[in-house]
Amino acid sequence: MKSAARKVPFSALGVYTVIYLAFLYIPALFLPLFSFNDAIYIAFPIKGFTLKWYEEMAQNAAMLAALESSVKLGVVVSIVSTILGTMAAKAFTRYSIPYSRSLQVFIALPLVFPLIILGVALLVVFSQINLPLSMFTIGVSHVVICMPFSMLVMISRLEGFDKGLEEAAQDLGETPWMTFWRVTFPIALPGIVASLLLCFTISFDEFLLAFFLSGDEPTLPVYIWSQLRFPTKLPNVLALGSCILLLSVVIVVLAEWFRRIGVSPSVEETEKQ
Amino acid sequence: MSDENFITLRNLSRHFGRVRAVDDVSLEVKRGEFFSLLGPSGCGKTTLMRIIAGFEEETAGEVFIDGQSMGRTPPHQRPSNMVFQNYAIFPHLTVQQNIAFGLRKEKLPKEQVNRMVEEALEMIKLPGYSSRHAHQLSGGQRQRIALARALIKKPKVLLLDEPLGALDKKLREQMQLELRALQKSVGITFIFVTHDQEEAMTMSDRIAVMNDGKVLEIGAPAQLYERPKSRFVADFLGSMNFFDGRVLDIDGDSVVVESPQVGKIRVDRGDAAMSPGSEVVVAIRPENIVVSTERINNDVNTVKGRIDNAAFLGDRSNIYVAVGDGASTVLTLMQNLSGAASRIGGQSGDVWLRWSDDAGILLPGDKV
Repeated sequence: MKSAARKVPFSALGVYTVIYLAFLYIPALFLPLFSFNDAIYIAFPIKGFTLKWYEEMAQNAAMLAALESSVKLGVVVSIVSTILGTMAAKAFTRYSIPYSRSLQVFIALPLVFPLIILGVALLVVFSQINLPLSMFTIGVSHVVICMPFSMLVMISRLEGFDKGLEEAAQDLGETPWMTFWRVTFPIALPGIVASLLLCFTISFDEFLLAFFLSGDEPTLPVYIWSQLRFPTKLPNVLALGSCILLLSVVIVVLAEWFRRIGVSPSVEETEKQ
Repeated sequence: MSDENFITLRNLSRHFGRVRAVDDVSLEVKRGEFFSLLGPSGCGKTTLMRIIAGFEEETAGEVFIDGQSMGRTPPHQRPSNMVFQNYAIFPHLTVQQNIAFGLRKEKLPKEQVNRMVEEALEMIKLPGYSSRHAHQLSGGQRQRIALARALIKKPKVLLLDEPLGALDKKLREQMQLELRALQKSVGITFIFVTHDQEEAMTMSDRIAVMNDGKVLEIGAPAQLYERPKSRFVADFLGSMNFFDGRVLDIDGDSVVVESPQVGKIRVDRGDAAMSPGSEVVVAIRPENIVVSTERINNDVNTVKGRIDNAAFLGDRSNIYVAVGDGASTVLTLMQNLSGAASRIGGQSGDVWLRWSDDAGILLPGDKV
């Protein structure tokens, strides 16, 4: 009887779920839909199918340059943040540090700073020390906001880590450094991958800090914002947005797949050295 | 096993703040010996072992292995290997990779490593397990793999930190015998940490009993069990009855003690120093006390009582007998030969306890 009750096809909760999912995904689906629309203005009815916005996008040097800047920035920021975050997480989980809890909160505090305040503050600092605005200044600001995320991800990964494993490796003749590469790193790897992806995503679509701190090279969000004034450029942005959307889905699927197959392949490689 | 002192601990101490986890420990372990560190949890036995392995720094003192001072030698350069309490099997590696983990620096050809791992798996009776992962192994299998992983390094000393604690009783007893047989066949010196006195007695050549960071006594299992020199050791190994008393008379090798609990006790003097009037404790093992329903008219080494409680254990019974005015209880152990123990356990009338002169162990009176 119970299972029959569960099979009712139409329920309030089901309706809610459908509306919720539609609200989440329909706007995102408008992006690819209009990117193939043969009209400059984003409005129904759909005029016809075209690939010309994608062709234009491929030839839009300024946009591609902004994309390249953002990708480079995201890669560097995610690596630097993850290294710093991992080191902090290892310290917090391995050693008994006085005021450990308070320190963690202190490091994570930039997460709740309004970004606009942080942006202004950093702008003041950089101009005081005469540091010209560039990709570097954006990178520094992104590390500030990414590092806490990385630290939190890595703490949760390393908290369940048995310290005995590292001792066992040293007991079996490995130096602390090789112990890290043969034991700590492979076991922490899923956390490291998660941290890299998270930091990349944060840096890639961050607008406020990049807007305040960019020099003459804009990141992609800053570039897109600047193009909103020109209606004719909008379809290009839609095409690019669709590509990024697709890429995000691929990255998430890859990350999940990678997490599930575990860490054995990379371990095989360290074994062979 | 030779008589040579292979491992020497000299005045080792380890202080954590004001706590003396290890307090001035000196002892010697012989080559090829199965040596146990036995004591209650928190007695410092694990800290002592971790000092030998190099994971804990001694506050004072020195460790010598095969004549070499260990000084500040880091763990990865010491000629010791360890089997960890929770085995510390690397979860991201296969059994093969776990066992071969410590061989990387030897730079051996792959075929030789494979052969060595196969041999190690034979030795621990897990042939064909090389491609399994840690999560596919039972507790007993993990324990064996941790053992193989350490032994493949051919260490001068193998340190085992309560390696059988997580196993169930049957498996633990089986592993005790296997471990002992393995140690004999490989001839490597074992230092075994445990809080389980039965386990220590089953396996060890010698045992060091520890409490509060100190080594109280070192000796062969039978020696420590039969002739303990302190109340703590007497109490910690097996079960023991303690009777407080005062020396009444010393006659050559035998001493008569007057105990308020059980009357006069005659014991062998041993090498304890005392004079008439000294406060002493007489310790008697439950298995050395005979319970009988027949009246015994003897004023020494005997006492009348009433059975208070009997725990029937199948092959034997623990019989608790209230003696004197009923304020104290004597534990006796009776083998259940042809149902003798189960019969006497149900008695409600008076019973008589008796023991021989050599059953009592004379200990100093201060309650250690």
